[in-house]
Amino acid sequence: MVNILLQNFKWLNGLLLFMVAMSLAGCNAAVDIDKALEGHLKGPAKIYRHSLRGAPSSLDPVNAATVYSNFIIVNIYDTLYRYKYLARPYEIVPNLAVDMPEVSDDGLIYTIKIKKEVFYADDPAFLNGKGREVIAEDLIYSIKRHFDVSNRSQGSWLWDGKIVGLNEWKDAGSNYNQTIQGLKAVDSHTIQITLFKPYPQLTHTFAMGFSALVPHEAVDYYGREFSVHPVGSGPFKMLRYESSNYALMIRNIKYRQEPIDLSFEGYDPKLHKQYGIDKIAGKSPPLVDALKIDFIKESASKWASFTKGNEINFSGVPVEQVDQILTQKKPTLILTPEMSEKYHMFHTIEAGFVHTDFNMRDPLIGYNDDPIRDKRNKKLRCAIRSAFDWKERNDVFYSGIAVEYPGIIPPVVPEFDPHLSNISTLRNVDEAKRMMLEGDWTKDNVPTLVYGGAASVSTRQIYEQFRGWMKDIGFPEEKVVFDSYASFGDFNKAMKEAKIMIIGSGWILDYPDAQNTLQLFYGPYGSPGSNNSNYNNPEYNRLYEQTSTMLPSKERTQLYRKMNNIVIDDCVSITGLSRDNIFLWHKSVISYPDSGIVGGFHLKFVDMLDEEGK
Amino acid sequence: MEILQYTLRKLVTGIPLIFGVTLISFTLMVHYGPDKTYDLLGKNPTQEQITEVRHQLGYDQTFVVRYTQYLQELATMNFGYSDSSGEKVSSILIRTMPVSLALILPGFVLGNLLGIILALISAYHRGYWIDKVIMGVSVMGMSVSFLIVIIAFQVIFSSSKGLDLFPVRGWDVYSFTDYIHYVTVPTLASIFVSLGYNTRFYRAVIVEEMGRDHVRTAKAFGAHPIELLFKSVLKNSLIPIITRIMFSIPLVVISGSLLLESYFGIPGVGKVTYDAIISGDQPILKAVVGLTAIMFVFTLIINDILYKVVDPRISLK
Repeated sequence: MVNILLQNFKWLNGLLLFMVAMSLAGCNAAVDIDKALEGHLKGPAKIYRHSLRGAPSSLDPVNAATVYSNFIIVNIYDTLYRYKYLARPYEIVPNLAVDMPEVSDDGLIYTIKIKKEVFYADDPAFLNGKGREVIAEDLIYSIKRHFDVSNRSQGSWLWDGKIVGLNEWKDAGSNYNQTIQGLKAVDSHTIQITLFKPYPQLTHTFAMGFSALVPHEAVDYYGREFSVHPVGSGPFKMLRYESSNYALMIRNIKYRQEPIDLSFEGYDPKLHKQYGIDKIAGKSPPLVDALKIDFIKESASKWASFTKGNEINFSGVPVEQVDQILTQKKPTLILTPEMSEKYHMFHTIEAGFVHTDFNMRDPLIGYNDDPIRDKRNKKLRCAIRSAFDWKERNDVFYSGIAVEYPGIIPPVVPEFDPHLSNISTLRNVDEAKRMMLEGDWTKDNVPTLVYGGAASVSTRQIYEQFRGWMKDIGFPEEKVVFDSYASFGDFNKAMKEAKIMIIGSGWILDYPDAQNTLQLFYGPYGSPGSNNSNYNNPEYNRLYEQTSTMLPSKERTQLYRKMNNIVIDDCVSITGLSRDNIFLWHKSVISYPDSGIVGGFHLKFVDMLDEEGK
Repeated sequence: MEILQYTLRKLVTGIPLIFGVTLISFTLMVHYGPDKTYDLLGKNPTQEQITEVRHQLGYDQTFVVRYTQYLQELATMNFGYSDSSGEKVSSILIRTMPVSLALILPGFVLGNLLGIILALISAYHRGYWIDKVIMGVSVMGMSVSFLIVIIAFQVIFSSSKGLDLFPVRGWDVYSFTDYIHYVTVPTLASIFVSLGYNTRFYRAVIVEEMGRDHVRTAKAFGAHPIELLFKSVLKNSLIPIITRIMFSIPLVVISGSLLLESYFGIPGVGKVTYDAIISGDQPILKAVVGLTAIMFVFTLIINDILYKVVDPRISLK
């Protein structure tokens, strides 16, 4: 039979050969971690495998807009400042900077010294392939890049109109040889920044990936592809980057030696000893030889890879797994014995919040030229908010472990008011019906509510839940409709063009200061700005402007809270909820993970135990 | 000479096809594709910044200008840079297409070979229990969602709760052994879902051939069943089989397999294409669509030449 087959189908041999050849063509170019670290390894390579639920869009700091991009960037590049590894609430500390900025009495001049003998990782972009020393001019160059239109910066808003001469430099054509009055290198390791008016969040901006220090040689060498060939002075160096799959980094052997002072990092034995954090005291980061970050959106695949034991070492917990891995959710989360035997767990409230906004530019529900209708619209919004059930939203979509709270100041920032009445977050159908009545709204005259969202199963489910609540207060089913957008890009465009009436939204903080969420309701930032609700209250705007130059203080906190109350009283947004992120990692890993604002900074402190548990 | 003339003729007549496909797909991309403007802007952009980004993306140009540029890109095979990552599109394709090919090829080849063999057995024993079993299993394979198959195979073959023989995710392939290690489970999943479709299709073709006079003559002559099936039946059924296989190739090469690549963490072109569709990364989409159209034209030509090879009666004129 075989003979007959071979006689008649000689081409099968060729086909098999072709298959082998093609399969070898699909092999990766040889990337061997041990080889890359040759001469720098004292023992077997320690490789930590992290996972993220999304992929970075770009690794160029000017485009560090997503959580995922920022996460990678702060590991490749240096920022002047960072947040303490273990301290909560977050505390900003020097990173590349020698100390905290020296600020003039009027709050307008910042002087920052950077550490000496810090070098960029070796790369072909440099002369002879050897990374040069990081200098003050690198920060100036890196900030200038944000104001060069050809770079399509997503971070220029941080310094736009704030640094003397910067906007003029942009308007004059972004000539890198021209100096900027308010952005100067006093000497090779001292930067001086002059502001138009005090900007209390400036230091925080220097802890963001946007402000990472970039060598001009690498930008020139890689050109447009600099976004996939990052070159920095951070703890890791990129070895291989597959933009939608993974990033493989190795230890930057030129990274400065800075032994870990645990008490400085906020070590508390009661909280941190259980994770073995005490074992890293005195060691110099980075503590692993290689870091592989897999970008995995598919939760089933991520979970299988994590529980396998020899693949990814870290995973967030998919919503569908939460009930399987916990024996208790309240008052605190407790893992099942089987899980706690294998894994460490840490959970933390996200640095952000989810909210549902009303588009105030829509006369059907927001501002209306007719003062009577304007008042009725407010009643309608307040009624909708009263019908909204945050507890049920939490139970159905966030496993019941998220935190519900009133207003737009989330618990993660110091200005959060734990004593604020939570009445605006509680479902009260009777109250909602009463407000409908007061506004003279009936099932016949209510406007059709259009809930917008990008097409996905979960968005549709969220809408259906919302429609159910609206039905309870008298909205006919056909008067609550879903406006589905094929992609997030389309949804975002419609939102920025103020075309969506009711917007399900989320926000991840850029820095731990309530100003970052309060700006979401500042009138001049209306669409296409970040104020998607297009709220425009003169009193709120005045307070925002007043506080924008104030340093953290009791007085500022009071004003922030006053603004929070204005938003609540005007029923502009249905708020709020911050998700509780659960992280699991293998017991062979020493880590204290985080995401959001400080996400990524912790990776240089991650260590791996050897087989003997040392 | 006849083949060369035919190929040149077909290449020339293929140009309108490429125009047609690219024109339709480009129109769809431009009018219905996601708008990336706001994804690329920072917070609180000014109108000037919005205009600048739209200009950089080419959104402010007329359809004709954009389509002409696209044709130029296609002619020069220079598709520029990804709007998302900034990486050169050609680099992305060169890196990911071989991976997709290496991932899909074993499942594609084995799925078709096994499909043909099972179809031959089934057709030969038409109406008997073996035929019914093969057809029943085929329908089962066709009925189960690919996604469920992938997740189930991951659990069975790769996870700690199953046999734990293969990796759940990844593509750290540096040798042929590594390759076998990473490709086995995706291949099994791919065969499982494609086998049903292939077997049923090939069986229908072969059953038709089995009823022809020359097959009955060969049977009467006492030909060995294997010889009968492969020499008299399969050879004469090759035209629809070749058509089916050949027209699958462009999709296999260019589009890859999104689900396999996503769930097994394999850096192939399928996932890149999917991400480009979702994010509206037009340089990548334009390249994938254009290359697929070109490959279809070449496939058409090779397909016709193969017809001539398997059936010399067919004229290329």
